Amino acid sequence: MTVTVSPIALFNVEQGISVDAELWDAITEKQLADWEAEWNMELLLALQRLNRAGVERKHWPQSRHWNWRKKTECLQKMLAYPCFSIMCDGMTQGMMIVDTPSKRCRIECQKGKNLVYIEYIENAPWNRKELLFDPPRYRGIGSILIFAAIMLSKEEGFKGRIGLHSLPQANNFYANSCGMTDLGSDPNYQGLHYFEMTEQQAVAFITKGGQL
Amino acid sequence: MTPVKKTMTLNLTDAEMRVLEELCIKKDLNKTTILRQALRLYQLVEARLEKGDKLLFEEELTKEKTEVMML
Repeated sequence: MTVTVSPIALFNVEQGISVDAELWDAITEKQLADWEAEWNMELLLALQRLNRAGVERKHWPQSRHWNWRKKTECLQKMLAYPCFSIMCDGMTQGMMIVDTPSKRCRIECQKGKNLVYIEYIENAPWNRKELLFDPPRYRGIGSILIFAAIMLSKEEGFKGRIGLHSLPQANNFYANSCGMTDLGSDPNYQGLHYFEMTEQQAVAFITKGGQL
Repeated sequence: MTPVKKTMTLNLTDAEMRVLEELCIKKDLNKTTILRQALRLYQLVEARLEKGDKLLFEEELTKEKTEVMML
C-alpha cells in the first residue's frame, strides 16, 4: 500500500501554538490500532462525563457507534472510496472516508454533477469540545479533512464540489466554518441535514483557510 | 498530495470515442476523469457481485426493479 504523506499544521489549543502534523491519503493498521486502543477508551470516558453531567443521551455524539475497522475493511482497496487520516504527535487525530463515483449534486445550479461525497469523518475524542474536553487538544482537523476532500474533488475534475450528511453536533461547523449550503433534513438519511459545497464556496473556503 | 500517475494509450472505435466525448460534454468532465470514474464503478460493482449481491435499477415511479446482468 503506497501512502502519500503531506505536511500540515494543527493548532495546539493548550499551548497556543501551531504544530507540525501530517495528512495521509490512507487509513492503515496504525490508524485503526489508535482508534481501537486510544479513541475508544477516551470516548467511553467522555460518555461517562456526559452522563454524569446530566447530558441527555440524545445529545451524545451519534458517531459513538462507528466501527472504523469494519468500515475500512469493507472499503479498503476500493478505488471508489479513498481514505484520509491526520497524524500528529505519533497519534491519529482524525479520519475520513469519501465516495467519488456514486453520488450527485443536489443544489440547483450544479444539480446532477459529480461530487466527492464524505461518507464518514471523525475527529479524535480529545479534540472535541462537545465531549467536554476542555480545552480540546488540537484544532483544525475537521477543516483540513474538508480541505483534502475539496482538493480530491479538484483532482477528479469535480471543481471542488463536495457533499455530506452531517451529524447534528456538526451542523454549525459545516454551515458557518465551511460555508456549505444546508439543504435541510433528508428523510431518506435518518433525517440528517444534507450539506453541499459549490465550486465558488470551495474557492472561498480555500482562500479563507490557506493551503497545504 | 497528488499520487504518481502512469500514462497509457487507449484504442477506441469511433462509436466508443463518440460515447466518451458525449459523456465528457454531458458531465463536464475530461476523458481521463470519465474513464477513471468508470474504473471505480466497475471495480465496486464487481466486488459486490462477487459477494453475491445483485445490481438493480429501480423505476422511480412504479418502484419496479430490473436486475442488470454483468458478464
